[in-house]
Amino acid sequence: MDFINALPYSISQGLIWGIMAIGVYITYKILDIADLTVDGSLCTGGATFAVTYAAGVNIWLALLISLLVGSLAGLLTGILHTVFGIQPILAGILTQLILWSVNLTILGKANKPVSNSPIISMANILPTILWSLLFCTVIVGILYFFFGTEIGCSLRATGNNEKMSRAQGINVNFNKVLGLMISNGLVALSGALLSQYQGSADIKMGTGSIVIGLASIVIGTTIVSKISSNFAVQLIGTVLGAIIYYTIYQFVINLGLDANLLKMLSALIVAVFLAIPYCKSTYFSKKKVKKEGSQNAGN
Amino acid sequence: MKKIISILVALSLVVGICLSLASCGSSADFTVGICQLTPHAALDAATQGFKDALEAELKKEGKTVEFKYQDAGNDIPTCSTIIGTFVSSSVDLILANATPVLQAAKSATNTIPILGTSITEYGVALELEGFDGVVGGNVSGTSDLAPLDEQAQMMIDILGLKEGAKVGLLYCSSEANSKYQVDVVSAYLESKGLVCTEYKFSDSNDLTTVATKAADESDAIYVPTDNSVADNTGIIYNVCSPKNVPVYAGEEGICSGCGFATLSISYYNIGKKTGEMAAKILLEKEDISTMEIQYDASPVKKYNKKICDELGIDTDALDALGYEKIVTED
Repeated sequence: MDFINALPYSISQGLIWGIMAIGVYITYKILDIADLTVDGSLCTGGATFAVTYAAGVNIWLALLISLLVGSLAGLLTGILHTVFGIQPILAGILTQLILWSVNLTILGKANKPVSNSPIISMANILPTILWSLLFCTVIVGILYFFFGTEIGCSLRATGNNEKMSRAQGINVNFNKVLGLMISNGLVALSGALLSQYQGSADIKMGTGSIVIGLASIVIGTTIVSKISSNFAVQLIGTVLGAIIYYTIYQFVINLGLDANLLKMLSALIVAVFLAIPYCKSTYFSKKKVKKEGSQNAGN
Repeated sequence: MKKIISILVALSLVVGICLSLASCGSSADFTVGICQLTPHAALDAATQGFKDALEAELKKEGKTVEFKYQDAGNDIPTCSTIIGTFVSSSVDLILANATPVLQAAKSATNTIPILGTSITEYGVALELEGFDGVVGGNVSGTSDLAPLDEQAQMMIDILGLKEGAKVGLLYCSSEANSKYQVDVVSAYLESKGLVCTEYKFSDSNDLTTVATKAADESDAIYVPTDNSVADNTGIIYNVCSPKNVPVYAGEEGICSGCGFATLSISYYNIGKKTGEMAAKILLEKEDISTMEIQYDASPVKKYNKKICDELGIDTDALDALGYEKIVTED
């Protein structure tokens, strides 16, 4: 009974983190870059929002500013990778470290409360779900449109086969930086919404968030690939993955398990979903090859 | 094979649902949700004090209480998840043990009474303008703030610090309450003519480097009631002890790990006070929106015998002054 009552919270958390997962999807699945900047840019979004909103800025403007500042973080990672030739993983880690100091400077202290948000609030869970759903829908719609444009397609090509794209005259460096900027902008937006949800922007709020993003992508795409490989469906699947992840997380907490095991459980959930497609194809598919071999031998 | 797996999955789902259904419907009169930021000595003591006091107070009226305890593993978003669980299961009261938990609870409900504990400054935690001791709404609680200027004076007295002596203030930059304490203590010390320098570390990975720099450049070090410091007193001891730099701790748990003395509030006592406040709220004797934040009225001066001996501080003189001795096991 408790678990059913807690479902609205899992759904709203899943939707908010789903936006972050969409951001990670762009770098991880489309550009094939493991971008660790997100641990820092999630907090950057939250911190920027907390400070601007507390200063009296209009909420939509504050959200937009958070998105733009987050995309600057992506720009930094992109420059470190393309201009200075640093490996993308390392570039992401370096930016993450830089962002720790930047975030502390933005916040001015370790933790800043966020209150009186008219759209997202744990106390009013139904409007929160509706608003997050609206954000997700609009974002999926915009991205679906964008990745169908020429720039969007060249971005997908860059991630798919960089050498061939370069041979076709695509500016791969520009695309990588653009992809990182869009991705981190979305992650920062998610951070801004999250800070409203949890009531505070805290310097530690982004730690380990890359795992949640990857978990959502893996869970969601595994489930949704059976239905369609349409891009919009994949993005929706990613958000669905985040909701499922948080539902399982909520379920585990409801069981009253030791909180020390929570991180291990998160990793196990990801591992199980990562292993399912591989195990299916390796251990559970019928061995067609041998049959054909014995048939051909007769000829 | 597929059938077996799908049956297993279905069975585990059913078992899971049964388990969660079984947990609903408790026989106690009240249900209280306790969310603690992370397990460590001070926060644990506060929780224990809360439970003991609340059970005792309710027993006097013939009522029982069931506690739902969860700790967030020092992960901020997990605080929201746990509080969400409490709110959705309609607990009668929430105990928020530490600042991020209080912030999550405040944003999650305007109706369920929330009592905070182990929170240094409510005005800072909830960004309240003109905070006068009453938070209002559905929030109240106890504070772990010790009289900071008394702590600073104690440091000067025991160590015999003269004008121009250098004091390093070591704290974790990601801890909300530490900066406030450090500001108050350094203001007091500077008013007495000492030179104060802040040494900030971001987490246990750079604590050694920062502590080494602080120990090299200071005559004495002050650490506030900082969760990261409390978790890593061993590192600070290993850095400061060989250099013979005395470390004054903000509370007893840190003092027993690396400090020579402290003016400590008892976390168990403020937990107890919170439990008593909770009983009054649950039995509807008092309205939470008018309850003032309470403090530990009688902090105790304590010293760590082993570390004082190593530093050559006269412990007999401290005993004569009525200080309590903390004996640590080696």
